[in-house]
Amino acid sequence: MEVRSEKKMWMVLVMVTLSLVGKISSLSVTVNELECVYEYVLYEGDTVSGNFVVVDHDIFWSSDHPGIDFTVTSPAGNVVQTLKGVSGDKFDFKAPRSGMYKFCFHNPYSTPETVSFYIHVGHIPNEHDLAKDEHLDPVNVKIAELREALESVTAEQKYLKARDTRHRHTNESTQKRVIFYTLGEYLLLSIASGLQVIYIRQLFSKSVGYNRV
Amino acid sequence: MSGSLLLTINLLAILSLGVIFNVAHSLRYDLQSGTSKCISEEIKSNAMSVGKYTVISPNEGFPLPDSHRVTVRVNSPHGNNYHFGDHVESGNFAFTAAESGDYTACFWTPDHKVPVTVTIEFDWRTGVAAKDWSNVAKKGQVETMELELKKLYDTVTSIHDEMFYLREREEEMQQLNRSTNSKMATLSFVSLVICLSVAGLQFWHLKTFFERKKLL
Repeated sequence: MEVRSEKKMWMVLVMVTLSLVGKISSLSVTVNELECVYEYVLYEGDTVSGNFVVVDHDIFWSSDHPGIDFTVTSPAGNVVQTLKGVSGDKFDFKAPRSGMYKFCFHNPYSTPETVSFYIHVGHIPNEHDLAKDEHLDPVNVKIAELREALESVTAEQKYLKARDTRHRHTNESTQKRVIFYTLGEYLLLSIASGLQVIYIRQLFSKSVGYNRV
Repeated sequence: MSGSLLLTINLLAILSLGVIFNVAHSLRYDLQSGTSKCISEEIKSNAMSVGKYTVISPNEGFPLPDSHRVTVRVNSPHGNNYHFGDHVESGNFAFTAAESGDYTACFWTPDHKVPVTVTIEFDWRTGVAAKDWSNVAKKGQVETMELELKKLYDTVTSIHDEMFYLREREEEMQQLNRSTNSKMATLSFVSLVICLSVAGLQFWHLKTFFERKKLL
């Protein structure tokens, strides 16, 4: 009786702590000039991976926007990774030390852009952790590896989804622009030809002899 | 006696295990006083979503000054308000998405004479990550390994669903492109017709005009 309730409590506590495993964050933010996000990396050697896609605002007259800069700063202050002038990319690096990492998006132009990003910090227990705690099976290492592999698939999917959204925006804007410009073209053509006719009539409305060219 | 000692040892083991497996952190944002910052996430309909936010106090251990409180608003894509927190230090919210679209969570601090920067720790999970695993564990005698594998299975199912969704979206986009293509063809043809008809009208009108004016 006593042993069963103990075991149950043990299980419950393990579940509660294990329920906090793995961090997923896939969010979008509007970058006016500089937007920074901080993420805490718990262990040195963790793989930090992620991606970001710049989703265009509806630009009616120009097709491409110049891109934004992305910088990752470690807690020590040195820049771990930087990407300049891109409209979306993947990144991953091995954290040289644990601490608060800063992920910054910098928009060099005045038009605000919406950036959709995803950052994942993955930890796989290694032999050092295995040695520290005897309750940790080598199977847990394999499970952690499997989990990280699935996380990378999820990350790739989120990236594809964000790119698909941006592609969709471009296509919808193309269709709107095609219709708008063509109808505008018709209107302008008819106005121009109407003005032409009116002008020619005006040229010939005065006395014929005076206007004979 | 030995039973409680065993329990204590077990608790310590659990906590260490928890520390090793616990990599749960939230994203931190800086908010300048007087400005608002909105974070949006695309959520599918009928998906569970939980969020938790806290204002990190600039001085460790001291109570949060009044100037560091934030106003939070969580809105659906159609503008319905799912959560509202006025001048709070921390809070949490949970909802099931009624419609699919972009859900926004906006934070705002009032403006002060001395501009302060408020650090907010925000954790927003949707779908698989939002599932409360402690309840699943409590329901039956579930082993650690089994729970982990259950989680992996849920992740795989969500990946599969996401693939279907992406496939649907791609199909919609193909339709859109095809319609743009056909619209362009139609509109170019119509533009040619309009051009020719306008030219013809011009010609006919000027001809009758000059015939009337006895120039031709």
